[in-house]
Amino acid sequence: METDILIIGAGPAGLAAAFETASKGLDVTIVDESLTMGGQLNQQTQVIPSLPSSFQSMRGFEWAAHLTNQLKEYDIRYLLSHRVIGFYKDGSVGITDEQEVFAVKAKKIIVATGAAENAVAFPKWTLPGVMTIGAAQTLINRDFVQPGKEAVIVGSSDFALDAALQLSEVGVHVKGFIEKNAGILSRDLEKIEQVKKIGIPIHLDSFIKEARGIGAVEEIDIQIGTRVFTEKVDLVCVDGGRSPILDIFYQLGCSFGYQKELGGWVPQYNHQFQTDREDIFLAGNAAGISTQGVLLVTGMLAGINACEAVGAITKTIADEEKDFLWKELEILETKYNPTIWEARNRHMENFAYPVIKEQFLS
Amino acid sequence: MDKSTIICRCEEISYEEIEDVLTNGATTFDDLKRLTRCGMGPCQSKICHSLVADMIHEKTNTPYFQIPLPRMRMPLSPIKLETLATNSTSFSSVKSVMDEVELEDGKVR
Amino acid sequence: MDTSYQTIIIGGGVVGSSIAYHLSEQTKEGILVLDQKFPLSGTSGSTQAWVWVHNKTPSWYAEFSMYSAELYSYLSKKIGDVEFKRTGGLSPFFNEVDREKALRLAEAYEQIGIKIKVLSREEALEKEPFLNPAVVGATYSAIDGNVNPFRLVDRYMRAAKKNGVQYSTYNKVTEIQKLLGKFIVVSEKGTFACKNLILAGGTWSRELGKLVDVNIPINQLRGQILVTEPLKPFLNYTISGLRQAFNGEVLIGYSMEQEGFNRATTLDVIQETANMAVHYVPALRKAKVVRAFSGIRAMPEDGFPILGKIPGVENLIVAATHSGVTLSPLIGTLMTELILDGETSIPIDRYSISRFA
Repeated sequence: METDILIIGAGPAGLAAAFETASKGLDVTIVDESLTMGGQLNQQTQVIPSLPSSFQSMRGFEWAAHLTNQLKEYDIRYLLSHRVIGFYKDGSVGITDEQEVFAVKAKKIIVATGAAENAVAFPKWTLPGVMTIGAAQTLINRDFVQPGKEAVIVGSSDFALDAALQLSEVGVHVKGFIEKNAGILSRDLEKIEQVKKIGIPIHLDSFIKEARGIGAVEEIDIQIGTRVFTEKVDLVCVDGGRSPILDIFYQLGCSFGYQKELGGWVPQYNHQFQTDREDIFLAGNAAGISTQGVLLVTGMLAGINACEAVGAITKTIADEEKDFLWKELEILETKYNPTIWEARNRHMENFAYPVIKEQFLS
Repeated sequence: MDKSTIICRCEEISYEEIEDVLTNGATTFDDLKRLTRCGMGPCQSKICHSLVADMIHEKTNTPYFQIPLPRMRMPLSPIKLETLATNSTSFSSVKSVMDEVELEDGKVR
Repeated sequence: MDTSYQTIIIGGGVVGSSIAYHLSEQTKEGILVLDQKFPLSGTSGSTQAWVWVHNKTPSWYAEFSMYSAELYSYLSKKIGDVEFKRTGGLSPFFNEVDREKALRLAEAYEQIGIKIKVLSREEALEKEPFLNPAVVGATYSAIDGNVNPFRLVDRYMRAAKKNGVQYSTYNKVTEIQKLLGKFIVVSEKGTFACKNLILAGGTWSRELGKLVDVNIPINQLRGQILVTEPLKPFLNYTISGLRQAFNGEVLIGYSMEQEGFNRATTLDVIQETANMAVHYVPALRKAKVVRAFSGIRAMPEDGFPILGKIPGVENLIVAATHSGVTLSPLIGTLMTELILDGETSIPIDRYSISRFA
């Protein structure tokens, strides 16, 4: 199978990139493991803050539908419930539908594989009932399953607060946040206010000393300073932060740099959202963990750059659109957290000086 | 975190086992993977790699940017052999041992 | 860390660590192992680890391999459990031409006392019921087996350390000089002096040889191996091409590519390997592959081990070979003899580096 642009990942960044490339007349193929498009947005019932100026404020799943709908008029090849399993020597992508493995040869590839949640370990963290906040969100919002009755949340990021609010909404008693740092991580004052209003305590400088239970978590010991107390819970939602998913870049031989603020190891890329494999572009959380609005803009930028690279648009037109989008990106990311914007710029400046490269040479 | 805390849930490798090889001179994820099997199971280190990086950071005082990523591998997620075997008909690189037995004048070399 | 040693071994893989261990059993004089990375980061940590004798040709090389394989049972008693299992080795074939080869092989081996049976289709299927029923026959040898390479090198290393051997890892050797009868070994982390110097650099032997102006003709040959999820024990033998490990995983692969030091895997070879697996053992169809890895074989130009003293430089020894796992107990033993007694109990003249001169 041949295509102009292969987009790996149908989350917000991938769909934005698909719109930019398909609307310029290119032959576009999208591959995603899931049966539905929109990625993590489908689990997000909260209103997504700080969208680009051209978008109305929407809830996550509404936004997924919007991004999907705007592709309807284009003849895009959708490989849903398909997954990328590796690469051929000639650079073709190996994709499977579980029946067979076939090769897709693309002029340019845009990798928008998103982020993975990091684990948080404590004694007996492997007991059933301990899960990531993302897993809990999937259970309540996609599968309509209540993951427990009495819960604690480990962490205090925006996502942790969202998870707590949504759990409360479906009737889970959230008994507290356990934050190891001295301050709340979320910068969303409104959300913090909401959490306080429904009376969920936020324990700072604290951690889970131990979980106990036979076959599933039944209680946990929480340590705050030197004080230890026990809570009865059947659900522990952990937020260990998120990191870009790197396996595809790694297999492609792309190089990596390290930026803590972007989630740790990030594929190295330039201002064109192009990796050091010049046929490989990237977008979304894969290019550094940020807010949904930013993910969308990076998808648009990667799409426009890919269009320019295959000659579907002129440099003049591309530059004009990119200038506008870069300004938008700066505003959105700085408003959310200026240190992320600074880290992104540092990361791009380091393009020529990757920390990990040629990972297959022994 | 106590010594019995599981770090790699696929292979059930504990904090203590990893600590042991770190004190024996291992410095990277791949070093300790080969010695403990940490990260060798179905998830291929996707869950444990950040926990192990934290341990390497604490035990060896190595800054995070100097702790290399674990080697990532194909297939990117597990796949059935029969699926993998589709659309592959030729044997250009894969050999049989018998191919290597060479005869000279009808006799083994 | 000391700076002066009786013996320095460059390379802490299965060959270097075996030499370190065996030597340390016989002498308490200082031994240092230098490794540019960490033991198991090279070939020794990326192998199917067959202990394999049969189908090695010519017969004198098979004989040499057999002596080494014989040492394994004893070795496990000394250094601890390395999951060595003498399963017996089975090489299935699928056409009559290969049966002819097999019969000739068995004939040649008989003269040196290695028993190889050429099995009929029925006999092969009786031994290994999950083989493809389309099999025409198989060669069978009782000597062959396999070992856990991670445990093997780890146990060599631990036993050697217990005997006082020092390891310096992530320490690449950059320069070697000979001064007043001693070797001066310059490494990234310091300079060391020694009387005996052993080059056990595996795939990097050629590069290592350059430091002492010696041509060690070792090339790289890549192999890609697939690993399945753990399955119930169902394979009885080490089959040439695949084996089942202690924990139930099946390791599959027998590919050869000249790719230098590039350890990438490619879907092309992974799929070929999968195809081979389901051809040999159709029952593997539903098994899931969890990972694939590449290993770079150290392949001497003529395929045979390069062992022994390097002519013209006193106390300089090379030990570089393919099949390092199979041969490591014997090489460790013989190199120890060579260092301490100046001669070996089994002749190694055929393996001298001088054959390339």
